[in-house]
Amino acid sequence: MTAALAKSWRGWLFPVAVLAAAELWFAFNPILSDTLAPPSKIARDGIAMLFDGSLLKATGQTLVSAAAGLLIGMVSGTAAGFAIGLIRTAERTAAWVVELLRPIPSVALIPLALLTFGYGYRMEYSVVSWATFWPFLILTHNALRQIDVRLIEVSRLMGFGPLKRIWKIMLPAAAPRLFTALRLSVGLALVVAVTVEIAANPQGLGLGLMRSQEELQPGRMLAYLIWLGVLGWAINYFLLLFETRLFAHRTPHGGSTTP
Amino acid sequence: MAAASNAIELKGVSLSFGSNQILTGIDMRVEPGEFICVIGASGSGKTTLLRMIAGLLTPTSGQVLLHGKPVRSPTRRVAVVFQDYGRALLPWRRAYANVSLPLEAGGMPAAQRPARIRELLAKVGLANHEDKFPGQLSGGMQQRLQIARALAQEPDTLLMDEPFGALDAMTRQTLQDEVLRLVSERKTTVFFVTHDIEEALYLGDRVVALDSNPGRVAYDIKVPLPRPRDQLTTREHPEFLRLRREMFEIMNKIHA
Amino acid sequence: MIRSRTLDILLGIAGILILLGLWQLVTSYELISRAFLPGPAATFRSLERGIVEGALLPQTWATIERMLQGWLLASVVAIAIGSLIGVSSTARAYLQPTLEFLRPLPASAIIPVAIAVVGLSWKMVLFVVVFGSVWPTLLATVHGFAHVEPRLVEVSRLLQMSRLAFIFKIGLPNAVPDILAGMRLSLTVALILAVVGELLTGELGLGTAVLHASRQYRADDLYAGIILLGVIGLVSNYGLALADKRILAWKS
Repeated sequence: MTAALAKSWRGWLFPVAVLAAAELWFAFNPILSDTLAPPSKIARDGIAMLFDGSLLKATGQTLVSAAAGLLIGMVSGTAAGFAIGLIRTAERTAAWVVELLRPIPSVALIPLALLTFGYGYRMEYSVVSWATFWPFLILTHNALRQIDVRLIEVSRLMGFGPLKRIWKIMLPAAAPRLFTALRLSVGLALVVAVTVEIAANPQGLGLGLMRSQEELQPGRMLAYLIWLGVLGWAINYFLLLFETRLFAHRTPHGGSTTP
Repeated sequence: MAAASNAIELKGVSLSFGSNQILTGIDMRVEPGEFICVIGASGSGKTTLLRMIAGLLTPTSGQVLLHGKPVRSPTRRVAVVFQDYGRALLPWRRAYANVSLPLEAGGMPAAQRPARIRELLAKVGLANHEDKFPGQLSGGMQQRLQIARALAQEPDTLLMDEPFGALDAMTRQTLQDEVLRLVSERKTTVFFVTHDIEEALYLGDRVVALDSNPGRVAYDIKVPLPRPRDQLTTREHPEFLRLRREMFEIMNKIHA
Repeated sequence: MIRSRTLDILLGIAGILILLGLWQLVTSYELISRAFLPGPAATFRSLERGIVEGALLPQTWATIERMLQGWLLASVVAIAIGSLIGVSSTARAYLQPTLEFLRPLPASAIIPVAIAVVGLSWKMVLFVVVFGSVWPTLLATVHGFAHVEPRLVEVSRLLQMSRLAFIFKIGLPNAVPDILAGMRLSLTVALILAVVGELLTGELGLGTAVLHASRQYRADDLYAGIILLGVIGLVSNYGLALADKRILAWKS
């Protein structure tokens, strides 16, 4: 308890020291900077953005694109993952195609999405869905392959048909790994959405960042940056919390509770 | 008897973690060149005792002396062979380079190392395996490698923590004989922890039994069996059989 | 065994042929307008023009150079700083929470800051590539150093090894698998940020080439550029996987 407290205290020291140093530096060099801002100014700008609604609007735009792309990537990636995880021939046929397509960097598709859809949500979530498709595909595939062979044998002995076997045995057995895929992909979706906004799409937090820079508003720019950090950290934190709650009773190797 | 004549001396050694008493009032003397075996059930603190002699742990009270000098931290004159060879070896170094580690640490000039390393590998029967990584060796070979590494320190005291506990019966017997041969060559003092009564009697000049909760010395007997020992004749020796029976009864009483 | 291997290859080729067939089918029947999706033939003709006739070579080299430069610089910085933080449990206690906070931050978010500080130039792109690809390797290095088998720490104590000897003989080799995994991730990030940087600055490179193709409705050139970027990703991944295999021979 005290050890945890001491540890968290030490964890705060470094960022607080950096902020204090920055504040002091600006206090002794009071030239109005166009590039960077003292922490107090960042905080004031951040609070102002929070109250005039611009921060929330931008956050909403980014999250909607990220979520829509994630949903498409998740559904298609998981479905494809199941197909190659369950059917040996599909796995072998897809192997080289996956090897070839997966390394295409998602940002390379930004100009294509721009050409096809123009500015707006569609171009953004299409790039996000491409980026998140792959982790879902790969991790679903791995999750299915790592299911204990004995579990499948047991289900055969029980006389389950293929569909029942998937629904009652494979899906629950793969669930923890599938959730890990979701948690990792949520972070990726946010990163890709913001990147698309910074590179091309005029909306969301990425636009906020770029526009603040162009308008020589370093306070607002850095407030956006810190907000983005908090957002990413918080989403990951709660998903992790949810994951441990959901699968706490599970040992990593099966131990299915289904009667 | 002068204190300096003891290779290892424990004076009223106790250890506790918080309110948990692990060892209490341990007194023990080990003469130079003596092979002492410590037996006890799991939780009797025998490994903890070994770690204090190695200098990896400090007793809460009492003193650990090596050749009359109190132990404060590990020294290269004492070598340790752990049970879990898979963790104690450097997996990224080949057999040859694993034996080289103590030589590097001891500051032996690079030019003198190869001959010494090959000599040690040959001694433990790994001459043909110097280019293999630990992961490519069997359990018995990995343990031989750890023994070669320990010998590379040229220790005057060798601490062995259930070194053969994870090996099959055949390998275990072969390695028991090899250890006896290797330590008799250099008159090394050996502190050997095991939970196997027969192993303790077969190897030791003396066997110390620990009682548990908290760990303390329950019994300390001399093993007057002739050397060199032999897996067949020693184990059939009437004295061996008598001692084995006695030890079984003691251990049963301790754990009753 | 051999037959199964042959079948793998045949099916792998079949998979690619199916992909190309579907692509051809979609364009033949114009399920998607040719303005957005040219046929495979047109795309490969453009690719041929780009590579054989050399129209895309300078751009390709520029992107590769930018990616590798940034990645190498980032790797050196990350391994050095990561080792320093990783060996000291005190340093980890002070710095790790900050690192964990920065980890999920999109590397591209630093771009506006970099533009503000460095200006809209190739220096900005290099800075962003380095900054972004430092993190995966840095965090992996810290992790590798922090998770040394406790038994090996004891071995180093028993041998009275100095702190420096511990770092070079135990800490660093122990962290190598983590570092290599981090460097692979970093290389992916480096390619992504090199392209984003090009999209924004218009510096010579495949990102810029692809963007121009998109603006001028040259879909075949656009796809050729995307394929080239995919090949860069594929080859660099494959190269690092090979290096992994050699360096981590002891793991198999």
